[in-house]
Amino acid sequence: MPEWKPEILRRLAPLNLSPARESEIAEEIAQHLDDRYEELLADGHSADSAFRAALDELKDEDLLARNLQSVENDLYRGPVAPGKVGSKLFAGILQDIRYAFRMMRKSPGFTAVAVLTLALGIGANTAIFTMMNGLMLHTLPVRDPKSLIQILVHYPGDPEPGFSDFSWDAYQTMRDGNRVLSDLIVGSLNVYDVSGHGVESQNVFGGNIGDNFFESLGVRPAIGRLIGPQDIAASSPVAVVSWSFWKTRFNLSPDIVGQKIISNDKPLTIIGVAQRDFYGLSNQAQQDIWVPYSLEDHPSVALLGRLKRSVSFEQARADLAALYQTFVDRPETNPFFRRNEVRLIPAGNGISTPVTQMLSTPLKVLMATVGLLLLLACANLAGLLLARGASRQHEMAVRVCLGANRARLLRHTLAESLLLSLIGSAVGIFLAYFAVGALIRLFSSGRLMVGVPVHFDVLRHLDARVLLFTVAIALLTSLLCGTAPAMSASNTTPASALQSGTKIGETKRQRLFGKSLVAAQVALSLVLVSMAGLFVEYLSHLRNDLGFERNNLLLVTLDFAHSDYNAAQYAHLSQELARQLNAIPGVSSSTFSEMSPMEGPGASSFASAEDHPEKTTPVSINNIAPDYFQTYSTPFLAGRDFSARDEAGSRVAIINESAARDCFGSKNPIGRHITLSHITETKGEKTFEVIGVVGDAKYNDLGQPAPPTIYGSLIQEGFLGSQLAIRTRTDASGVSSAVREAEASVLKNVPVVRMIEMNDQVDATIVPQRLFATLSTGFGALGALLAVIGLYGLLAYTVVRRTHEIGVRIALGAEGAEVMRIVVRDALWMVCAGLAIGAPVAFWGKRIAASLIPDLPVANQLPIVIAAAIMIAVGLIAAYLPARRAMHVDPMVALRYE
Amino acid sequence: MDQTASQVEWKKGSAELLILSLVEARPRHGYEISKLIEQRSGGTVRFHVASLYPLLYRLEHRGWLVGRWVEKDGQRRRRYYRLTRQGRRVLASQLRGWREFVVGINRITEAEENA
Repeated sequence: MPEWKPEILRRLAPLNLSPARESEIAEEIAQHLDDRYEELLADGHSADSAFRAALDELKDEDLLARNLQSVENDLYRGPVAPGKVGSKLFAGILQDIRYAFRMMRKSPGFTAVAVLTLALGIGANTAIFTMMNGLMLHTLPVRDPKSLIQILVHYPGDPEPGFSDFSWDAYQTMRDGNRVLSDLIVGSLNVYDVSGHGVESQNVFGGNIGDNFFESLGVRPAIGRLIGPQDIAASSPVAVVSWSFWKTRFNLSPDIVGQKIISNDKPLTIIGVAQRDFYGLSNQAQQDIWVPYSLEDHPSVALLGRLKRSVSFEQARADLAALYQTFVDRPETNPFFRRNEVRLIPAGNGISTPVTQMLSTPLKVLMATVGLLLLLACANLAGLLLARGASRQHEMAVRVCLGANRARLLRHTLAESLLLSLIGSAVGIFLAYFAVGALIRLFSSGRLMVGVPVHFDVLRHLDARVLLFTVAIALLTSLLCGTAPAMSASNTTPASALQSGTKIGETKRQRLFGKSLVAAQVALSLVLVSMAGLFVEYLSHLRNDLGFERNNLLLVTLDFAHSDYNAAQYAHLSQELARQLNAIPGVSSSTFSEMSPMEGPGASSFASAEDHPEKTTPVSINNIAPDYFQTYSTPFLAGRDFSARDEAGSRVAIINESAARDCFGSKNPIGRHITLSHITETKGEKTFEVIGVVGDAKYNDLGQPAPPTIYGSLIQEGFLGSQLAIRTRTDASGVSSAVREAEASVLKNVPVVRMIEMNDQVDATIVPQRLFATLSTGFGALGALLAVIGLYGLLAYTVVRRTHEIGVRIALGAEGAEVMRIVVRDALWMVCAGLAIGAPVAFWGKRIAASLIPDLPVANQLPIVIAAAIMIAVGLIAAYLPARRAMHVDPMVALRYE
Repeated sequence: MDQTASQVEWKKGSAELLILSLVEARPRHGYEISKLIEQRSGGTVRFHVASLYPLLYRLEHRGWLVGRWVEKDGQRRRRYYRLTRQGRRVLASQLRGWREFVVGINRITEAEENA
């Protein structure tokens, strides 16, 4: 068969097509000519005439090129050979990506490690950002949300940000006197027990609101009308409900207007439904009902404000604080308020709720931690890519020889890291979905969350912002881990790289860079591991430094609301129940109290000792039965316990060590008197004789030192203590059914509403701390693992690179141990450099964490020391295999390549 | 066979239509297309290589045809052209236009002949 291709290619030459396209056209046309030639031969033509006739198909020398020109110029823009300089960007990029895919398929092990590393880094970031987004970044669907502020009062020393609870007088003073707000809005976030026709009794979020609430927020009715000034003035028993309440309870029936419901035992008439997208003042809590605040018996109000345009935050705070001061300075104001200070916080993203208070700080700290983790993952991958890039220098040199320029090689290498990080992101989003679910389960176990209809679902809301964040992270990651390898690849000098027998070439600078990447990984791991140690220590400190024994303690909450028992009956029955409980095998003692430790905020008051009536000390109060301290294992330091004799005598109290010190100094408090003022419920004064002093025990907040506490006698005070505590000798859950039986037989119409082990009650109060400890331990372990991989990768590669040198050493008589020392010394150098960088960063990180989380045990340097030891162990583990390989280098084999 | 000037003009106008209609029933390769055109026109219409392939690439570029290399047992690989959905629409519209045009021409010429 004649050779047609030279003829065809000559005619195609002026078009300057890409080699691939050119050869494709030539192949197709040559086939056509073959077919024509065979046909002519079959028709009886001679070979020569058939050849000429077939060639005649190509017509003039330039016709093919002319006809093809317009088509091909549109279709294919120039050469796109791998690595060759191209003017056609898109075709080249696609090719780079295809090539990157091929490279990934070729080394599945490397790809799996890289994708998993990035997926963990990106997934952790996406998970935490998803929650931050849901919690803090969503703005409320109201008019001009950015100008909304929440007005709080803060009691000095209170770890909470403050509470929005103003008396009617304070509200009026601020409403009439302020020059900084365009609106002062009464609007709260409370839980209501709602029932009524067609509505099952249940807890929902709602709000007590003022006359301008809906108008100022720009909310319109979906049906009926909204609460306005006339309802507030007349204290009308009316309610407005949310669209979702209307849909779920009334199936969007227009008859809802005029329906009666019961809210917190008050009958109310529904007058309208708020517009569909309005869910209230918090992103985590769908508010379903709004009622006039004037319906409350002693109205205290929660306040929001709308800043005037030109007013700054600080100006507004100063103005409102001055007005609040004029209110508290009045003689009739409760002195408790005098120490309060006014605080403003932005409310455009929703008002402060238990969820935001509990989670916002942990999420910020975690965001920083996962940021470090991602950086670590990037350094790790950059190291791996760099090492692999060095072994591909030959390939890069060939590309340069074929005409690739630096930019093209750069892009080509970046395409690989981009692809890796995109796949890592996809897997990361998948992981994040489960991570968020697990985190939400942890949050829901928190004390503040139980029984409250918090909408955690908003925390898993995957919106455009989250996706944008993940894409941005992926791009950043690909740049961070791809740039150095790409720069290194694009610096290839073909002359040296192509020489046969050349060792995998690297400049000194590149080697140093690779080592510093590993040192950076060690540094970051040190920070993560030491933080993990810090949080684990903190958690253990919180769990164990309680002042009572938390193990083997069962707590039972009883509901006396419908029992009709009086104090005398209660005294008798509770003693009988305690006697029966103590008879249960495995139970060592039992007791009643008004509150159990860590159950939630209890009563508090101000105490003054008889010697210094002018000096008041804030104290926590609990009322307890005999055997309380024995059951909780809190030590008696002096005096005696309550007993049945106290019922008839004068008022007595037991105080803890802090209260004794704060009220009586060094004097013996036993037999002295202490007076409580402004007790939360009675507001009266009560004087007690101190009969005992006990050790300090945590009361409500594990993160705070045990408060000065005064224990009154349940029987003397006439309270029905609803908290039953049972100390067992073994696992507390083993006696729960026997406890239920005994309770039911003695207190016949008192239901058990809750049964929980003290350990769980303690854990429910420290959700953020558990979160820190769990996650930071995970991140620390992950960080250490990544450091092992990074260090191992570099050392293994170094040993391969130095095979020849090691071979020479062994040939000259070096011992195995000496060779091993070379590799281990290399590893330890990198680890030490990492430690030198990481230790100051870890110290600094601890200080930042301590500024966010009070009570963190930052003075203890042990976590950093332990973390450093772990890093050295990491270095030795990573060096083990490469060192063994180096010891077994065969000098003959190593030198053969010389 | 030499082509007259008028044949060249008609061919230019109808080339796309011819190719599209030939690949309507099933995919065909370039040589097959050129042979079919020659055979069915009784040798009056012929496309040589320098025109046929640029035209096929143009139709492919417009998205009316798709070319695929197909390897069959015992044969060299060949590039087969298949009509796309868009090509099918274009073919239908061109056929309609062509038929209307022929009817129009016939009416005019028959009227002249009968006059």
